[in-house]
Amino acid sequence: MRRVSFIVLALGLVGVLGVWGCRRQDAAGEAGGRTRLVFKYQPLWGPPEPFRELLARFERENPGVELVTEALPNASDLAHQFFLTALEGGARDFDVLVVDVVWVPEFARAGWIADLSAEFPPERLREDFFPGPVEAVVVEGRTYAVPWYLDVGLLYFRTDLVPRAPRTYAELERFAREAMAKTPGLQGYVWQGRQYEGLSCNVYEALWGHGGRALSEDGRVLLDDAPAREALAYLRGLVERGVSPATVTGFSEEESRRVFQEGRAVFMRNWPYAWSEAQKPDSPIRGKVGIAPLPTVSGEPGPGALGGWQLAVNAHVSPERRKLAARLIAHLTSPEANRVLALNYARNPPRPAVYQDARLREEAPFIAGLLPMVERAKPRPVTPYYNLISDVLQSEFSAAVAGLRTPEAALKRAQRQVDHLTGEGP
Amino acid sequence: MMKPRGSLARERRQAYLLVAPAVLVLGGVALYPILAAVWLSLHRFILVFGERRFTGLENYAYLLGDSRFWAALGNTAYFTAVAVTVELVLAVPLALLLQKAFPGRGLLRASVLVPWAIPTVVSARLWAWMFNPEYGVINRLLPGQDINWLGAPGYALHAAILVDVWKTTPFVALLVLAGLQGISEDLYKAARVDGASPWRTFVSITLPLLKPALLLALLFRSLDAFRVFDAIYVLTEGGPANTTETLSIYAYKTLMRSGDFGYGSTLSVATFLCVVLLAAVWLRLLGREEAAR
Repeated sequence: MRRVSFIVLALGLVGVLGVWGCRRQDAAGEAGGRTRLVFKYQPLWGPPEPFRELLARFERENPGVELVTEALPNASDLAHQFFLTALEGGARDFDVLVVDVVWVPEFARAGWIADLSAEFPPERLREDFFPGPVEAVVVEGRTYAVPWYLDVGLLYFRTDLVPRAPRTYAELERFAREAMAKTPGLQGYVWQGRQYEGLSCNVYEALWGHGGRALSEDGRVLLDDAPAREALAYLRGLVERGVSPATVTGFSEEESRRVFQEGRAVFMRNWPYAWSEAQKPDSPIRGKVGIAPLPTVSGEPGPGALGGWQLAVNAHVSPERRKLAARLIAHLTSPEANRVLALNYARNPPRPAVYQDARLREEAPFIAGLLPMVERAKPRPVTPYYNLISDVLQSEFSAAVAGLRTPEAALKRAQRQVDHLTGEGP
Repeated sequence: MMKPRGSLARERRQAYLLVAPAVLVLGGVALYPILAAVWLSLHRFILVFGERRFTGLENYAYLLGDSRFWAALGNTAYFTAVAVTVELVLAVPLALLLQKAFPGRGLLRASVLVPWAIPTVVSARLWAWMFNPEYGVINRLLPGQDINWLGAPGYALHAAILVDVWKTTPFVALLVLAGLQGISEDLYKAARVDGASPWRTFVSITLPLLKPALLLALLFRSLDAFRVFDAIYVLTEGGPANTTETLSIYAYKTLMRSGDFGYGSTLSVATFLCVVLLAAVWLRLLGREEAAR
């Protein structure tokens, strides 16, 4: 008898734990008249106070709201994985979330993030923000997220080794060769060739530089065309002709930055973060670095791949919470908030107007100087299939860059697999 | 006559009752997920599209023609075969060495296990730094041209094998050591009396008697190596050009990155079947070994 009562007790305990676990789902609800609003984001590296103050101001302006922040993993694909499982499971324990540029169409299509067109009409976004990020957050004419801060691919060059920034691919190669001829052991151009998302960014940039689009008029991902072939042949050619070291096929951002930072390369493709590292007091290349838009075939300033984060609202939360969440997004994406993020965390504002701000120009001249690059930044193909296909593309791009397959063969294979995944094509 | 039969039945009922919790737990944590994966693998189920429809064996038909799957299977098999072979070949002499009585043996035995005790992700990150073609210590130590360890097809998979060998050889050595200690000292004494050379002793006494331990090590290691994920994921994420992509990495990418639960489950089931097959072969060999004794 005692044993039976023990089993009953154990089962009861499990049941209680289960119910308690489910109740946690609603922890983001009202507690004692105060509304808890949960914001899930990736940590901003830097002094915590300015951002805390920004959040505190929202609480002061909205009495009765308690703002809770929860950190996400820093790696983008881990954050994606978290949202994939949480939102598919109908999680309601967070209200506002950060989304990567390439996730918006996917999450919107899945019905995981709320339509924000009423609060942030697409027309108004087009007026206030750069075209690149707006293209990434407006899906089929509806707004699903608001740009928070952005990132863009840039060309870094050594002002002491080359006369000026190259405008065309041919110029880049010529400048690199001239500098390499003078200094033995110097490398020409380092970029990101390892099989991961960074390689995709490098390939899309080369593709745009060759006049390609990667997306057909009707939104189909189209890769097996002349500009794509030329782009891959160009990247492979850099390695074959010795302008880029063979090791570049194993480089991600940090590997290329180290080579450049040690003064061993003339050019580097990277994100803006590499600037502050290059300007550190003990940096061998301090004061010898310039930045420019990426080169192209034609000599027009080339678009860099758009990165960065947007704010969206969890579609599973109640309409009242949604309204409040939209208000938080408006607060966090205001020009004032843009300035706080730029000045304290070196995050690039997505609004052109902020770049004219006198204080920003004075205190963060590097960020203000990125204007020509950020206004040209282009999102990778805006399609709900992005995450589904990027995996396939990365491996084929890697095969072409590593010389395992010709660009033609790699792109044919890529297109076939993409068509299978999206259910399109023959 | 009636009474013992009744008590037997009651005892049997009680036995069922006693194993029921274990069976339930096993069913819940082992059987149910496997069946769920099999069931999922019969669907086109992509999270993002909220699309879930039964497609029968369509995923398996695609799997048969999926060159990426066959390449991953090839990589996995190659990784398993080479890594496990090298580990065994290195582990046997290491175990013989550890068995010898010498001062500080206890300390050495413990310290040999250090690579195995470090979490794989940590040691893989360590190795990634050492493999770095620009500033890694391995290229500094090797003469000649710098080798692009993790970026060149051909090298990358072998770099991963090296990491696995470094990490698990001590573990295999300990398994072998346990086997060595089960061999009676009398046999060695007899061999010495007969004037057998050390090599002869090793081939005729040590190896045959070590066979069950070796088979056990093979079983553990090959099943483990076949599911390799963390080391390779940290080193290369399956690159360059998927030349280091194993079945687990392919399945993980399909499931967790792409959110393609249907085909991802198909890949998991395929991996599971491979592992079951492998285990069946080893267990059979082990069983035969037991029977022969």
